Amino acid sequence: MPKATRYRNRIELLQGTLDLLILQTLQWGAQHGYGISQAISTNSGEVLRVDTGSLYPALHRLERQAWVSSEWKVSENNQRVKVYRLTAEGKKHLASERSRWEQLSEAIARALNPRAEEGEA
Amino acid sequence: MRHGGWRRRDEELEEELRGHLRMAVRERVERGETPEEAEAAALREFGNVGLVKEVTREMWGWVWLRQFGQDLRYGLRMMRRGPGFAAVAVLTLALGIGANTAIFSVVNAVLLRPLPYRDPARLVTVLHDGWKPVAPANFLDWREQSSSFESIAAAQLWSLTLTGRERPEQLEVLQTSAEMFRVLGVDAALGRTFVAGEDQPGREHVVVLSHGFWQRRFGGGTDAVGRQVMLDGEPYTVVGVMPPDFQFAPFWATHAEAWVPLNLSRRVSDRRGQSLRVFARLKPGVTLGQAQAEMEKINRQLAEQHPRENEGLTVSVDPLHEKVVGKSRPALLIILGAVGFVLLIACANVANLSMSKSALRRRELAVRIALGAGRWRVVRQLLTESLVLSLAGGAAGLLLASWSNTALASLGPDTLPRVRTASLDASVLLFTLGLSVFVGLLFGLAPALHSTKTDLIESLKSRAQGASRGRRHERVRQLLVVVEVAVSLVLLVGGGLMMRSFLRLTSIDPGFDPRGVTTATVPLSGPRYATDEQRAAFFQRLTTQLGSLPGVKSVSAINHLPLGGDVWTLGFTVEGRPAPPDAERPAAVYRVVRPDYFRTMGGALLQGRDFTERDDATSPGVIVVNEALARRQWPGEEPLGKRITVNGEGSKSREVIGVVKDVKQGEWASEPQPEMYLPHLQAASPRSMTLVVRTSVDSSEIGSALRREVWAIDSDLPVSRVASMEEVVAESVGQQRFNTLLIGLFAGVALILAAVGVYGVMSHAVAQRTHEIGVRLALGARGRDVLGMIIRQGLALTLTGLAVGLAVALALVRVMNSLLYKVSATDPLIYGGVAAALTLSALLACYIPARRATKVDPMVALRHD
Repeated sequence: MPKATRYRNRIELLQGTLDLLILQTLQWGAQHGYGISQAISTNSGEVLRVDTGSLYPALHRLERQAWVSSEWKVSENNQRVKVYRLTAEGKKHLASERSRWEQLSEAIARALNPRAEEGEA
Repeated sequence: MRHGGWRRRDEELEEELRGHLRMAVRERVERGETPEEAEAAALREFGNVGLVKEVTREMWGWVWLRQFGQDLRYGLRMMRRGPGFAAVAVLTLALGIGANTAIFSVVNAVLLRPLPYRDPARLVTVLHDGWKPVAPANFLDWREQSSSFESIAAAQLWSLTLTGRERPEQLEVLQTSAEMFRVLGVDAALGRTFVAGEDQPGREHVVVLSHGFWQRRFGGGTDAVGRQVMLDGEPYTVVGVMPPDFQFAPFWATHAEAWVPLNLSRRVSDRRGQSLRVFARLKPGVTLGQAQAEMEKINRQLAEQHPRENEGLTVSVDPLHEKVVGKSRPALLIILGAVGFVLLIACANVANLSMSKSALRRRELAVRIALGAGRWRVVRQLLTESLVLSLAGGAAGLLLASWSNTALASLGPDTLPRVRTASLDASVLLFTLGLSVFVGLLFGLAPALHSTKTDLIESLKSRAQGASRGRRHERVRQLLVVVEVAVSLVLLVGGGLMMRSFLRLTSIDPGFDPRGVTTATVPLSGPRYATDEQRAAFFQRLTTQLGSLPGVKSVSAINHLPLGGDVWTLGFTVEGRPAPPDAERPAAVYRVVRPDYFRTMGGALLQGRDFTERDDATSPGVIVVNEALARRQWPGEEPLGKRITVNGEGSKSREVIGVVKDVKQGEWASEPQPEMYLPHLQAASPRSMTLVVRTSVDSSEIGSALRREVWAIDSDLPVSRVASMEEVVAESVGQQRFNTLLIGLFAGVALILAAVGVYGVMSHAVAQRTHEIGVRLALGARGRDVLGMIIRQGLALTLTGLAVGLAVALALVRVMNSLLYKVSATDPLIYGGVAAALTLSALLACYIPARRATKVDPMVALRHD
């Protein structure tokens, strides 16, 4: 029982952020689930590790919301893999989420350092 | 389509996740780990595959439906694995739910179904004292002066003979104002209803038929409109036919099959003849209270204007629905309550059963929760299993109810309006569905919550139950059994009281001997029987003819049959005494009988003699009175030889020549009133008399013989209501029999269910305590001691239940007082008897598990978990 709540909490807290990361990753090209999780981990300097219990639900949700699309491809090792790709809608959503995130983090940074603000000319 | 789609998605998801795992392993291997290390590490990192799958699947939506399907399949599988439990549970529930459905169908038909008129909630009756009929002049004044009603109309009952091509038939027809159908708001299905003014002289020979009548006499032919029927020898033109479910009046004249206009032109100023019943429709926006106030005002004004006729009359405006169902409501609600109790006991039994079931599955449930299923998910699944059981029980119950439906509808007494139309219609089906769901939740919720609220570690241990939890479990089951015993006590007390009351009721001496007596009513109408002499001659000839039939011991006739017929009263004066004031004038039930009546009926002539053929118009006036009259008028004196003058006979004085034992008159349960019998040939000859024939042959033969003889004299006469006197008597207690049968049945079912419940709990207790029993036996206890211990435990439970039940019964049973006859609601004999019966059954139920306990092998028990 404790494990289930952990998963749920994770998804709720980071849901928006996780979506952002996934969409951003896909901007650089179609990718399968494992690749996406590796990419996020690598690009964040090993700080962010997305576990499968959050990743796959997120991917399927994004697909349902039509921000990504998926298809089955055959990999180099002759194995079937499900590959996700960003849609046009997804691109637009990514852009708006990015700007929102940047606004948010700027606002938080300012709130955490009010004196620095005053100090500025 | 959805199902196939899901499976495909499931497989794809499986493949996707497997692919992820594969790639993770490969990368690790590339980094230098051994395949085994890589797999283990990758799997650990991946996490709970099943859980990931499930959370992912939730993103697909429609989760609840999928989960419900899963639960359903699982529930059915569980049922198949434990068919014994399922069978018992479904059977118990079927009994409980089925009984409730059956009773509800009656309640629905009698109390709940709206009357077959437009907007029936706006219909009211306007009567004196709430029930007495109204005189025409008053009605016409009310119609003119009142403003609370959209429309108002009056009706009068007309019993007549229908003659024609087929056999003559006795018919009940309602004479109504032309606006009556407007008041009711119902149109004819064929043709039309009355138009305004058709109740005026010259236009009133039209008739509207009921659907049933139209089918019977016209074969349902559409050419019926325009044809003629002969009512009481006069031609009436059919102008319309009503729809099939239409019935009017819904009370008082419930067998009316045709409607003719009411011509009041000759009674416009008649303020005395109270024969009309008034129906009205409230104007929109007018409340019952406002209408009542207005009618009271009008009534007061009329009383001032016409003090002689209207003084002392009150008026009451009542909802029509209330008039129809008001009297039946208490009894039916009590019966509904009783059957609800039965369901309660059934649920308690099934709850007990499912608790022991879920106790066995505790480990399985704990594992599921430990693996990540939410607690609510498991509870939902357990509830689904309960629902499967309860819906199955509901379906079986519905089947039971449909079988008993015909029996119930035909057993229902005539005093229950519309009981014959009780059926399993849409509202009843909905009720059953709702009840099944409710029941499933009721007995499923507690065990479901209880068995998932576990300390996981405890449950996963090898011991099936921790000691403390076992005790808590046991407490709940004991509580359930105590409740069961208590509720069945209440029901059994109710049943016992009803049965005692019914026995008291039917063991009353009716004052005559109904065995071997057949009755039949012959109404005379038409020009051939216009005079007293013609009518008297007919009945004289008929009774003589019948007397000569083989097997007939004696024949007579009376104007109104005791218990089966009307009760008319007439005032009289005792000669030799000063005339008492009007209000205190004595009155007696008025009977006109042919000679030999008392012998035929088996009544007792206590003093004097019966009438003979010689007591006719030429001989001195005579009269026979009953004990009640003699006691009241001549207490302590000799009644024979005293003289009486009966109202309406001018100064004709009659000598009392006989005193008879009191006889039941109208209702079985009421005390006999003073009654006087006049000889047929000395009184105004009634238009209709009921023949009574005492025979030594089977009554079915005598019925056809009766008809033959009547038609031999006049083939246009109907012979109605041929019934044995025993049937008449039985019918008069029909309502009480109905109530008693039902409540008695439920009490019996409750007793059986409660005994089964006790047995179940005691069995479980023995199983629980096997270890302890083994220890006791090993330490030297005898089988007898163990038996005693178990039985004592069972007895303790039963006695607790009895105590609780007693308290509840004493509180509730006074509600039944209206149904009981001369039996006090706290009759100690009944309570004592019921308590003894319950204790005995409980003891019996304990005995089997107790014996099982003594057979325990200590060595096996000590090793028992």
